[in-house]
Amino acid sequence: MADFQTSTHRAKWIFTPEDLVGKYKAANQRAIQTLEKYGATLMEVDVDGTISYPEPQVIAKDNADKHSRPKPISIEEEQFMRVFYENKLQEVCKNFHFPHKVQATALIYFKRFYLQWSVMQHHPKNIMLTCIYAACKIEENHVSAEELGKGISQDHQMILNNEMIVYQSLEFDLIVYAPYRSIEGFIDDMEEFCGINDDQLQILQNLLHAAKMEVDKIMLTDAPLLFPPGQLALAALRGANQVHKVVDFERYLRSILSRQSSEHTVSELIEFLNAIDSWARKYKFPSDKDLKHINRKLKSCWGLSSHDESKKRDKKSKHKSKRSSNEVQPVNLSRCFPWKFFVLLRKDTPNDHPVRLL
Amino acid sequence: MGDGSASGNRGHNNNHNSHSGHSNKPEWLQQYDLIGKIGEGTYGLVFLARTKSPPNNRGKSIAIKKFKQSKDGDGVSPTAIREIMLLREISHENVVKLVNVHINHADMSLYLAFDYAEHDLYEIIRHHRDKVNHSINQYTIKTLLWQLLNGLNYLHSNWIIHRDLKPSNILVMGDGEEQGVVKIADFGLARIYQAPLKSLSENGVVVTIWYRAPELLLGAKHYTSAVDMWAVGCIFAELLTLKPLFQGAEVKAIPNPFQLDQLDKIFKVLGHPTLEKWPTLANLPHWQQDLQHIQGHKYDNTALYSVVHLSLKSPAYDLLSKMLEYDPRKRITAAQALEHEYFRIEPLPGRNALVPTQGEKVVNYPTRPVDTTTDFEGTTSIQPSQPVSSGNAVSGSMSGAHVGMNRSMPRPMLNMQRMQPQGMTAYNLASQAGMGGGMNPGGIPMQRGVSQAHHQQQLRRKDTGMGMGYPPQQKSRRF
Repeated sequence: MADFQTSTHRAKWIFTPEDLVGKYKAANQRAIQTLEKYGATLMEVDVDGTISYPEPQVIAKDNADKHSRPKPISIEEEQFMRVFYENKLQEVCKNFHFPHKVQATALIYFKRFYLQWSVMQHHPKNIMLTCIYAACKIEENHVSAEELGKGISQDHQMILNNEMIVYQSLEFDLIVYAPYRSIEGFIDDMEEFCGINDDQLQILQNLLHAAKMEVDKIMLTDAPLLFPPGQLALAALRGANQVHKVVDFERYLRSILSRQSSEHTVSELIEFLNAIDSWARKYKFPSDKDLKHINRKLKSCWGLSSHDESKKRDKKSKHKSKRSSNEVQPVNLSRCFPWKFFVLLRKDTPNDHPVRLL
Repeated sequence: MGDGSASGNRGHNNNHNSHSGHSNKPEWLQQYDLIGKIGEGTYGLVFLARTKSPPNNRGKSIAIKKFKQSKDGDGVSPTAIREIMLLREISHENVVKLVNVHINHADMSLYLAFDYAEHDLYEIIRHHRDKVNHSINQYTIKTLLWQLLNGLNYLHSNWIIHRDLKPSNILVMGDGEEQGVVKIADFGLARIYQAPLKSLSENGVVVTIWYRAPELLLGAKHYTSAVDMWAVGCIFAELLTLKPLFQGAEVKAIPNPFQLDQLDKIFKVLGHPTLEKWPTLANLPHWQQDLQHIQGHKYDNTALYSVVHLSLKSPAYDLLSKMLEYDPRKRITAAQALEHEYFRIEPLPGRNALVPTQGEKVVNYPTRPVDTTTDFEGTTSIQPSQPVSSGNAVSGSMSGAHVGMNRSMPRPMLNMQRMQPQGMTAYNLASQAGMGGGMNPGGIPMQRGVSQAHHQQQLRRKDTGMGMGYPPQQKSRRF
């Protein structure tokens, strides 16, 4: 829908930084409580979409054995995991040649999902793929779960199992506004603003392209949960304009504000754009070492750890026999290193949909 | 939003393991008393239910639309998801209100709970044609049309094309505070039309054939909100004459068969379209391909006014002919139609379409037929009245009471005031405020603005029921 003003996106999903921290803390805390109670954190999602807490493990009650209890991951570590999988999400979408819109929608779903849950509770790899699947459905870029699963050598049943919990966690607010479209709108507008002639159109096209790259980066930060898409677009355009020097940006901002009744002044708007820039600057991608460390911790939180002796032996002998199915479920899905499977991406995915790139 | 009650709780697994007998109702279902089935379509089933009465309050009537599970491997029904995502974003007096979404984890199906509407244009027209044998009064027609356009204008200005407007999808509220208010329903085919990722015609042909715009019949690839306006024109004519304006015989073949008979019916009434009047006609696939049938046959000039028994000079005829303009680019828009002279002359449209100007007889429309032998699974139960735990338990007695009560109660004549078209905005605001406050003190469109933690799945929505209806789109609905 065109009207962002009356959207659920604006009404419910734009937060203050404090809100956001509070939500991340709360989700982390809930997972920690589960860990203390049950000795593991991973929510089990059934074939029918039902979720349940992990089976209590003996060790959870065994206080004497405190040091061997899985350690929860911190809020910062959660952030790293999300960052990692958000990058993967963009990668998967690029490999499938999905339109920008699908990628952005999936990213926003992923971000919103982890406002409600900790990565300790739902494996981000599964959620990432399910978010892509759901975004395709919503944006009418239909891909079957099977096709999606195949393309990345993952079990598509896992995608289907998680679909409902994703919708539910999004509170069924499925229409989201991505900044890409706003960028296109501003570029059109600039054409008039600058009185550009046909020869110079290429300059604007370059700016458009650069701004989209900028916004790809912004989309990986928390900014999409903090600012409306129009401001994200302007921040990206301003960044791109610093390189391409197409317009006097402040003058352009003034001209926008003079034409629409805005609740903000130019200086306020600039402040927002600065804030978005600073989110982009603060962005940190985890190192391999960080990731290994977090993954090890996560695995133990998920109930896949090595504290029980028999499992330790298993590990030593490097002989991973399949566990019986009534044991902790998610083992099969997370066995491969999550960041390895992407090399299997099919490059030749059939794609007859026009990719909206200029 | 949806409570999806089975999730989030330890031990709930038992719940669905034993769901085979519906003695073990899912938790979300326990907040309703099932009355029975009121509709069936390709998408699934529609049930009438009543919220369990809060103290000192009669339960609210709710229409619950159950979506069939989509085909295997496709996950959650895309139709259901599309309808939900649109309805979550919109809110208008003349658009049906989604009050809750429930998830049945046992079979991964979605249940959408709507305010219940007792009537729809299909039933109203049928009642006049088959039972009372006289036409619908002018005030009622004008009010129905105005409100339909008002809702449609809202949708179109939010970039939503309905794509499946037909009399059975236009609901009218029964007794209660919103009596006689039109609600556009059934958004299963609706879509947003900004920046389509693929051409709109790719996702299947839409719009029931009788109400289908000529550009669609001629194979247009990109169509616009004008298709909805064509359907409104057809519905307007049907309100006037009590029979479908263009009753073509549908060719059933896959995919997208050419509907020659439907075009033939249209041409007979409106005359042959010409390139002068409709320049882009030449680009339409079927126009180019089917020279013999379409271009070969010449039709006489328009006979529309005589078909609908209107004088050529009447504002009603003028409006109708503008809705049935061949060229979609010239067809009147919902916004323009609302400003049309027809709505500025007596009788002026009002809020309650069912209570006409003083002096005229109030027609008592029948309540929606309810099949009380059906349970939520859509299967017919042998014993409709079972002990408490079953959804059917109360339905037998409830539905009796329900039907009886509706018709015998005197209608409060609260909403008699007429509105001036120009005063509409204020009117709407006032009425919506009043309605929202009165009927749903607990925060209307589904927890908007309520922040929810991960426990959302466990939250029970107690204040779901508020009212009325939803349109069944019955399979059997053909003349």
